[in-house]
Amino acid sequence: MPQPTPSLPPHLPLRPRRGFVAGPVVITGLAGGLALAVLTLVGEAHQAWALILAAAVLAVTLVQARRARQEAARLQAEMAQTHVEVAPGALSLPYTSVLNALPDPVMVISAHEPDDLTGRRFVMVNRAGRRVLKIQREAGLLVTAIRDPDVLEVVDEALFGGLEGEAVYEPGGTQERIFRVYARPLGVASDGAQLALLVLHDETDIRRVERMRADFLANASHELRTPLASLSGFIETLRGHARGDEGARDRFLGIMHVQAERMSRLIDDLMSLSRIELNEHVRPLEEVDLAAAVLDVIDALAPLARDKGVVLEAETPPRGTVSTIGDRDQVIQVTQNLVDNALKYSVSGGTIRILLQADLSAEACVAPRMAEAARLSLLTPDHGPERFAALSVIDTGPGMEREHLPRLTERFYRVEGQKSGEKLGTGLGLAIVKHIVNRHRGGLAVESAPGRGAVFTAYFPLAEGPAADTPDNSHDVAKVS
Amino acid sequence: MNEHIVKAYEDELNMLTAECARMGGLTEAAVADALEAVVRRDQQTADLVVSRDERLDVLQADIERKAIRMIALRQPLANDLRRTVAAMKIANNLERVGDLAKNIAKRTIVIIDSDPMVPLTRSIERMGRLVVTRLKEVLDAYTASDLERAMSVWSRDDEVDEHYNSLFRELLTYMMADPRTITACAHLLFVAKNLERIGDHATNIAEIIHYEITGDEAIAAARPKTDPLQRP
Repeated sequence: MPQPTPSLPPHLPLRPRRGFVAGPVVITGLAGGLALAVLTLVGEAHQAWALILAAAVLAVTLVQARRARQEAARLQAEMAQTHVEVAPGALSLPYTSVLNALPDPVMVISAHEPDDLTGRRFVMVNRAGRRVLKIQREAGLLVTAIRDPDVLEVVDEALFGGLEGEAVYEPGGTQERIFRVYARPLGVASDGAQLALLVLHDETDIRRVERMRADFLANASHELRTPLASLSGFIETLRGHARGDEGARDRFLGIMHVQAERMSRLIDDLMSLSRIELNEHVRPLEEVDLAAAVLDVIDALAPLARDKGVVLEAETPPRGTVSTIGDRDQVIQVTQNLVDNALKYSVSGGTIRILLQADLSAEACVAPRMAEAARLSLLTPDHGPERFAALSVIDTGPGMEREHLPRLTERFYRVEGQKSGEKLGTGLGLAIVKHIVNRHRGGLAVESAPGRGAVFTAYFPLAEGPAADTPDNSHDVAKVS
Repeated sequence: MNEHIVKAYEDELNMLTAECARMGGLTEAAVADALEAVVRRDQQTADLVVSRDERLDVLQADIERKAIRMIALRQPLANDLRRTVAAMKIANNLERVGDLAKNIAKRTIVIIDSDPMVPLTRSIERMGRLVVTRLKEVLDAYTASDLERAMSVWSRDDEVDEHYNSLFRELLTYMMADPRTITACAHLLFVAKNLERIGDHATNIAEIIHYEITGDEAIAAARPKTDPLQRP
């Protein structure tokens, strides 16, 4: 911050002081002169004495005058000092802190020549800006921060045309974000550079709601039509020729019950998927005990597994030892969906292994857990220094061919040749898992070989990682949204 | 980065990187817009992509000229030489990506004429998103000189390939089921192939970044690779 200059003209308050300093000098001078005159009158004999006295008075006067000047200088210095101390407190605000506290990214850009690409530099970015644009430095080349041609264009218009402009900017990354960018001219800096202000406003929520509505309608109308058609078909039959047939009625009502349940499950899943998608870019804040969540799910699903004759084998660290920053309900939902899936595709006598490993690198999380199987990462987190906890669910079911793997997290995707009808799935389970894991900034990988089973691995960043390196980061994410 | 005695030299080096970054931004936008045009069946966006490709060609030629001038006049050594050569090679790759994006946009015209095939477009969109993300990541790694990030793009090349293979199968199923879709499906197949090649160019750029930063070549054998043609 530059040293602020006192805003009041310095001579104004000093004028009365100068008068006050001059006072004693005049008085002493007058007294000296008077004494000299009296002494001259007293007599010639005392002329020598008089001269000495006059000289003494003059000397005193001079000393006093010098003292007065010194005093004046001291006062003046004091005045100047109080000005420096008072002015910033009264007139300026902590602008840097204000900008850093803003939830929206703000950036100041300077440039000299329109043709000079390296001349366009950002000279100030606030904290939100450094996070969104992933820049470490306070200043640097503009193109290293933003490359989007539309944004660069509005920046140029603001810099060299003095025009206000807007553009839409998507920073990319695993969690989709959409910003509206406002460029405003700021005039000319002291060194002659053109300045412009860039403000990014997060519009992810608005766009998400729009898209969610469209997606929901498209999915719902498409997927609900089939069970609905079957229901109305049975109703028609029951009202028509099967009216008196007791046995047919019972059977039809049974089928209708199953279809109605399927519809209601489908609506539940669609709703929960929409909800998750809606705040996928908002990182959860609470700390979740991953080991406890996994063990709870295993306990809950144990009766179901027993009924099917499937053994659940858990290899997890004890409760309270592995925690992640997350949403407890969602972490449980991930575990439940994965184990549920494994159960659905397991036959009696099969085994499902549930493996929780803590403190792995991202590479170790996707390392093979099944020998000589097709392997694919379905979701990879943005590159970061974090350590992860990986949850693997390993089944011994029919497995899948490699070509199905990339499409597993697609909505309503079903692997051909597998009798999914009786397995009561909605086709949304893995899509939900993927979106939840993405919200947690984690990853998802699958391995499978036909006839040998499948391994699904969901991994979450460990709680210590993000909390330690950027304490205000997660907080900011929540605020921005 | 080391300071240079001659300020203009440093400026010229930075200029090359900046030009490459700007060209990268244009390329990214071209790929994203071409994808958007196919998925949303938007002729206008497609035309825009086609018309903007020329700018990429101009930029590429410009970067190449500047790099050659730099080598001739300044005789850069070691790090600086690698930076110059890397800029030139990256510009070449980006120009190819631009051409592929233009090709995707051109096919939109035929695809719009056919009936919409919702699940197929969704698969194309998925694959396209993945490719756009990879291109973005690798360019981020370039502007930040982040070797680790570049290598994470490089080692995950197989994801795009898997998507392509899966899409290939899906398209075959469609064409066999209904021969009327063959024209559109054939074009979508090329769109998918182009996307796959854009992914390859992103991997190439990652290799160039590796060379620029370390001076060594990334070892292609170390990369996980799946070849659909060699599978039983």
